[in-house]
Amino acid sequence: MQTTAAIEVNNLVKVYTRKNQPPVRAVDGLSFTVQRGEIFGLLGPNGAGKTTTIKILTTLLAPTEGTARVSGCDVVRDPLGVRKQICVVVQENALELHLSVRNNFRVFGRFHGLSAHEIQLRMGRICELFSLTEFLNAKGMDLSGGLKRRVQVAKTFLIDKPVVFLDEATTGMDSINKRATIQAIKEETRKGRTIVLTTHILDEAEVLCDRVAIMNHGKLITLGSIHEVKGAGLRLLSLTLTVREATPSLLETIRSFQPVSVEIRNSVIEVIMRDEEETLRLLAAARKQKGFLHFEITSASLEDVFLQLIDHQTGSN
Amino acid sequence: MREIVAVVYREYLIQTTSLMWIFFELAVPLLYLLMFGVAFDRALGQGLMVENQSLGYNSFFLAGVLAMTCFGNALNQSYGFFVDRDNGILYEFLTYPMRRSEFLLGKVLFQCGMTVLQSVLTVGFSVLLLGVSVPWSAALFIVITMIAGTAGWFFFLSIFAFTIKRNDIYNTVINVIYFLLMFLSSVFYPLDRVPGWLRSLSLLNPLTWHTDLLRFETVGVGTLSDVMLEAGAFVVFSVLAFWLAVRKLQQTG
Repeated sequence: MQTTAAIEVNNLVKVYTRKNQPPVRAVDGLSFTVQRGEIFGLLGPNGAGKTTTIKILTTLLAPTEGTARVSGCDVVRDPLGVRKQICVVVQENALELHLSVRNNFRVFGRFHGLSAHEIQLRMGRICELFSLTEFLNAKGMDLSGGLKRRVQVAKTFLIDKPVVFLDEATTGMDSINKRATIQAIKEETRKGRTIVLTTHILDEAEVLCDRVAIMNHGKLITLGSIHEVKGAGLRLLSLTLTVREATPSLLETIRSFQPVSVEIRNSVIEVIMRDEEETLRLLAAARKQKGFLHFEITSASLEDVFLQLIDHQTGSN
Repeated sequence: MREIVAVVYREYLIQTTSLMWIFFELAVPLLYLLMFGVAFDRALGQGLMVENQSLGYNSFFLAGVLAMTCFGNALNQSYGFFVDRDNGILYEFLTYPMRRSEFLLGKVLFQCGMTVLQSVLTVGFSVLLLGVSVPWSAALFIVITMIAGTAGWFFFLSIFAFTIKRNDIYNTVINVIYFLLMFLSSVFYPLDRVPGWLRSLSLLNPLTWHTDLLRFETVGVGTLSDVMLEAGAFVVFSVLAFWLAVRKLQQTG
């Protein structure tokens, strides 16, 4: 049966059991759907259950309860069907260290059913996209950590699988390569591919993702577009004040408004506030202080919202 | 089939990056035969009486060397799982569009190619330089038995490689197992004159079954009915090991 959803996760549970230790519910009743052609971000702090979820969706782990389908194939009943639809950048650095970059591409292409001729053709384009041409003959073991990761990510763009999983794909990359990778990911979704990524770099998720799910302790905290998540009942705003000097009296005024957080960098104070009216009242109070120069109000970054949501959930637990 | 060929292609690329490794891999059985076989052959002088048949030790030991070659090759290949795990590539492999069984079969198929090369060299060396008489008619059976042996031991060792996460522990465990399997078998000595308890244990050892089969094929020791029984037992052992190894690999993630 053809569905519009690329991924359907329903009440997924994964419990790890170890001798003489209490069981750990790494994923605890997770449900979400990813539409075809979407870039979907799975966010959360370390140990939130993101990688376990990705491992279940890529057939590396079997769930304890619940169901998950990728391109209509059940991950438990039809794991091979799932694997035919996906390509994965696993969290670990995964490279054939004794082989050249060229042979890494060749092996990957062969496994995914490409002929030698097709591999050769696609390799040129991918190497250009990821600036890898000059490293084609270098062995995996001779590459830097960032380059190894770049090759690993580049491999997944050699083939045309409809669903791509990227688990912390840009970890260890410098900013130039990160940008190239982000650009490549965007281009691929224009071709209709679905991309699921996990990252702890929230700026990256903000730039890339159509929708995000935030997880903590194996549970889903919130799910929606970046815009929806930012406004998920918290309506956080970022007020940036530029002053001649962050005087004690100004800081006292700011704290009297009970902000979510205050960060001071020399003459710039960034205050995260919960609602609009309070933000405007704080701004009015701050403008009356001596040495006030400039202000800027923006919606809070995904990172601020993320931290607030995690705090909120940890508190309620 | 495409998937199995892809695994073989990958193994071929990796193994051919070190010609020195290939050289030593091919030379080890010959060294065993030369150093150990020749020394014992001279030491024993008159040779051995095995099942009422007089044999030089070189002739007797050839089957043992071939059986150990299969075990050694399987061991090397199973150790590759730790290298793949350390390189992180094992988990990526497990997301490729292939069955776990195809992955295992591809891995062992390449190694079987090496085994065939080694057996040709070892048997050729024994015939030409050590004067062992091996019937030409047995060549195909020897090759098949060598392939089956490598596969059976590889699946058996893979169970441990997927169960034990640390390669130092794996090395220790396998060293003990290898030691027990070798000395509780017919690899080094005929079993008809060893103590009863040792003989009984040895007859339960798949390495004995495999060695006896190779010995029957190379120098004609044993009866057809006995070796057929042992061959059947080894096939059952290999199939069970394959099934368990696939199950263990499915749980690896």
